[in-house]
Amino acid sequence: MRTIKSLLLVGILFIGFSCQEPVDYSNVITDGHYLNEAQDRVTQVIIHDIFSPPVAARIYSYSSIAAFEVAAATDPAYASLLGQLRGSEKKEFTPSDKVYPPLASLAAYYTMGTAMIFSEEMMNEHRDAAYAELKEKGIPDDVFEASIAFGQEVAAAVKEYSSKDNYHQSRSFPKYTVSGDPGTWQPTPPAYMEGIEPHWNKIRTFVLDSAAQFKPAAPPAFSITAGTPFYELANEVYLAAKSANEEQQNIALFWDCNPYKVNVKGHVMFATKKITPGGHWMSIAAIAAKAAGADWKGTAEAFAMTGISLNEAFISCWDEKYRSKLIRPETYINQYIDEEWVPLLQTPPFPEHTSGHSVASAASAYTLGQLFGDQFHLVDSSEVAYGLPVREFDSFSGAAEEAAISRFYGGIHYMPAIEDGVTQGRQIGEFIWSKISTKPEKLASKN
Amino acid sequence: MNRTLKPFAFALVALSFFSCKKEEKATLFELIPAEKSGVSFENKLTATDSLNILEYLYFYNGGGVAIGDINNDGLPDLYFSGNQVSNKLYLNKGNFQFEDITEKAGVTGDGGWSTGVTMADVNGDGLLDIYVCQVGEYKEIKGRNKLYLNRGDSTFVDLAEAYGIDFKGFSTQATFFDYDRDGDLDLYLLNHSVKSPEVFAKAINRTNSDPEGDRLFKNLAMEGERGFVDVTEQAGIYSSILGFGLGVGVDDVNNDGWPDLYVSNDFTENDYLYLNQQDGTFRESLDSLISNTSRYSMGNDLGDLNGDGLPEIFTTDMLPEDPAIWMKSVGEDKSEVFQIKKQFGYSDQYVRNHLQLNQGEKGFSEIALFSEVFASDWSWSPLIFDMDNDGMKDIHVTNGIVKRPNDLDFIQYSQEIDPSTAMADLRKNQIELLPTVKLPNYTFRQDSSLHFTNQSLAWGLDQPSYSNGSAYADLDNDGDLDLVINNLDQPAFIYRNHSDKTENKSIAIELKGADLNPFGIGAKVTVHSEDKSWHQFSAGTRGFQSGSTTPLVFGLGKISQIDSVTVRWPNGNFESFNSLAISTKNSLIQGTGKTIFENSLTSTETFDFPTIAWSHVEKTEVDETKREYLIPKSFSSTGPALAVGDVNKDGLDDVYLGGAKDQAGALFLQTTTGDFIPNPSPIFEMLAKAEDVVAEFADLNGDGNLDLYVGSGGNEYEAGNLFNFDRIYFGDGLGGFSFIPNALPPIGENTSTLAIADFDQDGDLDIFTAAAVVSGDYGASPKSSLLVNQGNGFFKDETFARFGQQINFGMVNTAKWSNLTGDNQLELILTGDWQGIRVFEKNAQQTFVEKSVAGLEKSSGWIQSLKASDVNGDGLMDLITGNLGLNSKLKASEAKPVWLYHSDVDGNGQADPVIFHYMGDKLVPFATRDDLIKQIPSLKRKHSSYAEYAASSTPADLFSAEVLNQASKKAAYEFRSGAYLQQQDGSFSFYPFPFEGQLSPWFSIAWDEKSKQVFLGGNFTEYRVDLGKNSAMAFQSFQFENGRWKSSNLKTQIPIQTQIRSLQKISVTGISYLIAVPNNGSPIWVKVD
Repeated sequence: MRTIKSLLLVGILFIGFSCQEPVDYSNVITDGHYLNEAQDRVTQVIIHDIFSPPVAARIYSYSSIAAFEVAAATDPAYASLLGQLRGSEKKEFTPSDKVYPPLASLAAYYTMGTAMIFSEEMMNEHRDAAYAELKEKGIPDDVFEASIAFGQEVAAAVKEYSSKDNYHQSRSFPKYTVSGDPGTWQPTPPAYMEGIEPHWNKIRTFVLDSAAQFKPAAPPAFSITAGTPFYELANEVYLAAKSANEEQQNIALFWDCNPYKVNVKGHVMFATKKITPGGHWMSIAAIAAKAAGADWKGTAEAFAMTGISLNEAFISCWDEKYRSKLIRPETYINQYIDEEWVPLLQTPPFPEHTSGHSVASAASAYTLGQLFGDQFHLVDSSEVAYGLPVREFDSFSGAAEEAAISRFYGGIHYMPAIEDGVTQGRQIGEFIWSKISTKPEKLASKN
Repeated sequence: MNRTLKPFAFALVALSFFSCKKEEKATLFELIPAEKSGVSFENKLTATDSLNILEYLYFYNGGGVAIGDINNDGLPDLYFSGNQVSNKLYLNKGNFQFEDITEKAGVTGDGGWSTGVTMADVNGDGLLDIYVCQVGEYKEIKGRNKLYLNRGDSTFVDLAEAYGIDFKGFSTQATFFDYDRDGDLDLYLLNHSVKSPEVFAKAINRTNSDPEGDRLFKNLAMEGERGFVDVTEQAGIYSSILGFGLGVGVDDVNNDGWPDLYVSNDFTENDYLYLNQQDGTFRESLDSLISNTSRYSMGNDLGDLNGDGLPEIFTTDMLPEDPAIWMKSVGEDKSEVFQIKKQFGYSDQYVRNHLQLNQGEKGFSEIALFSEVFASDWSWSPLIFDMDNDGMKDIHVTNGIVKRPNDLDFIQYSQEIDPSTAMADLRKNQIELLPTVKLPNYTFRQDSSLHFTNQSLAWGLDQPSYSNGSAYADLDNDGDLDLVINNLDQPAFIYRNHSDKTENKSIAIELKGADLNPFGIGAKVTVHSEDKSWHQFSAGTRGFQSGSTTPLVFGLGKISQIDSVTVRWPNGNFESFNSLAISTKNSLIQGTGKTIFENSLTSTETFDFPTIAWSHVEKTEVDETKREYLIPKSFSSTGPALAVGDVNKDGLDDVYLGGAKDQAGALFLQTTTGDFIPNPSPIFEMLAKAEDVVAEFADLNGDGNLDLYVGSGGNEYEAGNLFNFDRIYFGDGLGGFSFIPNALPPIGENTSTLAIADFDQDGDLDIFTAAAVVSGDYGASPKSSLLVNQGNGFFKDETFARFGQQINFGMVNTAKWSNLTGDNQLELILTGDWQGIRVFEKNAQQTFVEKSVAGLEKSSGWIQSLKASDVNGDGLMDLITGNLGLNSKLKASEAKPVWLYHSDVDGNGQADPVIFHYMGDKLVPFATRDDLIKQIPSLKRKHSSYAEYAASSTPADLFSAEVLNQASKKAAYEFRSGAYLQQQDGSFSFYPFPFEGQLSPWFSIAWDEKSKQVFLGGNFTEYRVDLGKNSAMAFQSFQFENGRWKSSNLKTQIPIQTQIRSLQKISVTGISYLIAVPNNGSPIWVKVD
């Protein structure tokens, strides 16, 4: 256990030049600032490398778990997740006295994050800048090295755990084959991209018993006849989109979270990219942790639990998407109602039921509510960097509900996908919190 | 016209002016500078916030050129169209000097955005008028199409409105032609849509006409009225918003004397081939005659390239030639998008130039890949003309786009910018970020039958430019065609042709037509000299937004004299003109020639072929690319199986046809009257689930009755699956068959071929059964087996005992037993993908050893079919090979083979088959970066951009040394089909088939010993989309005579696009036929004698 250094040393810190002298660096990292910055960079790389929403959730979750495991290994107030998560084994770490935990945590985050993306150079550049800044603030070389090494050791354990989640194997699984059956999903304009991650339900869950544990209600029976429930659902999307007011449109755009929107103008084509739904909620986790005054450990905890919630949400949601393989409103409306209609949001490249944003938002909001209390004044500036305004909410669940309904206003989901998706997400959140915990005392009560 | 041959030194003098560093060489074409010619026209373009490539998709399409003699002084004059600059009319003063008379002639275009331009004598007064297309009201552009009528004093008046053709919309080009042969010129007006082309609408919507769509106007002049009437709908012309018309060409495509139309459409919409129905209507016939077209079809030209009198069709697209551009540009549709377009009802289209070789009523062979004219970058105007007067027409293609929107780095990464940027700046940035590449135009010289090489550099046509419209004409009446090109942001090119200083001859024909068509537009002219003839169709519109209405110049090569010239006039009259002089211009006046009465071309000999009431129905449910992203071709459509033999001992050949998955095989017994009667068997029905791909009749149990071996494939099931098991049906000599499951060992591979013979000479037939592919693992070697007959029709797998435990047969497509060496012992000969012809020789221990055979070392390719026959009658066995052919994007040679690297690069349990091919001197992956990353995600870490990836030049730029070392590497050196002729010393020499034998992959070979003829059946549509379908030639026959192949000109009715999988000789009522079975179709017959 780290001891608090005397005030004297603080004085020496200000004298400045004497590098040999021991320095008090204990307050160099207190809050989640560096972790937030690192996560922002992961978000940028995810955008650059064009990872899809389910894959992005996987990247966030393992990176955050690595950061959190350092907190758990260095502060008895936190319980390790390794041993709790499916397929993981409890691991005892023995950090040396030289290890400065917040730096180790940051190193674990960078190491794990970098292992999961493509553009390593973008990560390394950011990491090196952060390290240089921290060194400048007086962390001694030996402490620095020991901390980085420990962070890498923890990351290696998490990486070893992640390597068995079937992701690697899933890269060679068959692509989705479009069937000509009416009512089934087809690629949508303008890029007509193939259905992404049709086998995501084969990725190991962290907590859920199986991808199908919270199987949502099936969508209504497909029909092209006016007056049937299915037709009316599509028509409802069509009419709502046509009559959407400015606020509804703003809501749709705010929560678009499309990592790869293709813009086409004649022969000119370019992609505009934004954060994924997962990226948005990881950002909300960061904003909430900061607003709640959480230290780096609390921030890492919020990241890890939100990341886990997102990961489970996407596995569960994708399981249903490729079970029901439901046609998107855009395809249906173009074929049976209005050939010229284009939704406000670009339809993302996977089947309709349920809404991924609804499931992910409801699950994350539940988790953030558990951490910080659901009633929370949230000033959501996540999308400012992407040219969108700030939106404020009184609760996490309120934000999640708006995120869910935004897909209806945006013209990319029928109502059941939203309602059933929110239920599905909430069930996932509740189940996660009933099974695992970051706090030893709560963990003890579960066992 | 008096032409003097200048001394050869002339060109050197002309060009040595500015040479400071390197000595300028005299070239065939000489660029005449503006200072000398007086042609200072430059289509200067300035993008603004409100008008740019994002606001108007055809912002960079540029202008056109029309050439014609507007003042009838014998010198063709030039008209250029400009977008933001005034159009220009230049009077030809002779000796490549021109005078700008635009203003006084009154033909500026009135400040509109002009596109295509055409000269034609619209009112039939003997003076060329000018029709200018414009963009109508759009953003700040205001305009409408102009008809500048020639007043005869070098001034013009716009009477478009009075004539009813002042169309206001988005016009690209017009062409004037007499579609109804009434004696006046009608107008096809090509327009383009501006609706979002990226959202696919059902193709059937092309029947919904729209005021903005293409138009056909009928000229009423012959009816005594002034003006045109819109006949679009009643004539059967599509005029929907799906059409993004960028090219229109007229020629008599089917040689019936009536003008037909080819329209090239950009984006998803098909091109249109309108055949004139001779009754005032057209029938759009693309699908029935043409297999695939350019996707972003730009300009087109029609012209006869091979001298058979039938015009070919050339369309341009945007495929780059340079690998550094190709590999970072948008390529073919991803396979799912390709499928979706099919679902919407569109025909197959690929992003490359297409050359449709006209084969008459059988359709067109698309041969751009064979001809090597498929890649000329972002291309606009193709012109088919004999550039060097050597008697073979060439193709000139203009190209260039100022801002290149298909750059993948731009698409994927350009928009990661500071979000605080204002929207206006953002748009500006978007345009600024678009990459810019300025390249020379392409000059495809025909160097041998329908094969071309780019001669831009050698011929002096290599100035980098953004070129759009182009036109040719003999501007100085020296007997060769000069070239004029409209450029963006650069003065127009006027190239003077110096072919007159070579030994090549030419003849110019000026047409004087009758009625209200004094320039004879629509006449087809043929120059005859001994066994040769040259054909041209007189059309005023060619290429892109351009055209020439000038005398026709025919290059004749070294020929010093011609026999006659025949003209089919626009009204159908056919005349011959004799004793015309070459090296000069001849005026031919309609009605003054000798009338010729044509033999009826439609005398189709009717012949009753046998029929078999059976059709193969392919299942298309297996899509291997979903499982193996990099697989180059499908193995799921290799059927049907065909076996021919007399099963009921009545002396008549019977036929077994093996069905696709869920389709039962069927046996047909021949009757004495030549009918084929089905002989159903419940056992075939029970085993319908299997996909039959090979079959053979043979007496396997020695009871004197033919038995039937059927091999199954499909590349759907894993090895060992029940439905992959081959089967033997034992015949009762009466037409009945019984199935004994355990006659064969349970192998269950994707059977590809059978070779049946008594190799061990023990009196019973043994079987080599081979496989081409491991399901799910293209590039791996499947199990092929030697099955030794136990004497009773039961077989034992003795592969290892006879070939050794280490035997690796590779991917086997075809195998034969043959006594190659003449020692009375059979050798096993086999080959397939990525391996040469391999010969296994039997030794005294009755086991086999592979023999190295001189001359076969570099025979590795994608050989599909093999036949051992004595091709040249020298008593030695030769080997005929049916290979991939040369009509493919994959090009192989000994020096530059195509490589397959097969290895589990990323250790995910699935091997990755990566094909590398040479582009120039670089050995680069054939698959796109996106497809590679899909299969091998870690590759994305290797390069930070597409540009970086496109700079790679060896496999080491993609994979680590470790990966490369452990990969199995297989080469293909030879894709040509032909025969390896055995020499006296036992070595082999390769004699490839002539070009007609290299246009498609041959899946089956039949040999007729009596006539020493080889018959080839082929075509294959299931290559990956990047490679594209290859259905350019269904059938060919050759004979080997005097040391070379010659086409045996066997007449068949087989449509060009048919995919023949198996071909066998069969006798029906004593007549020799070939029976050809196509995938997804009914048997087709060819009469042999």
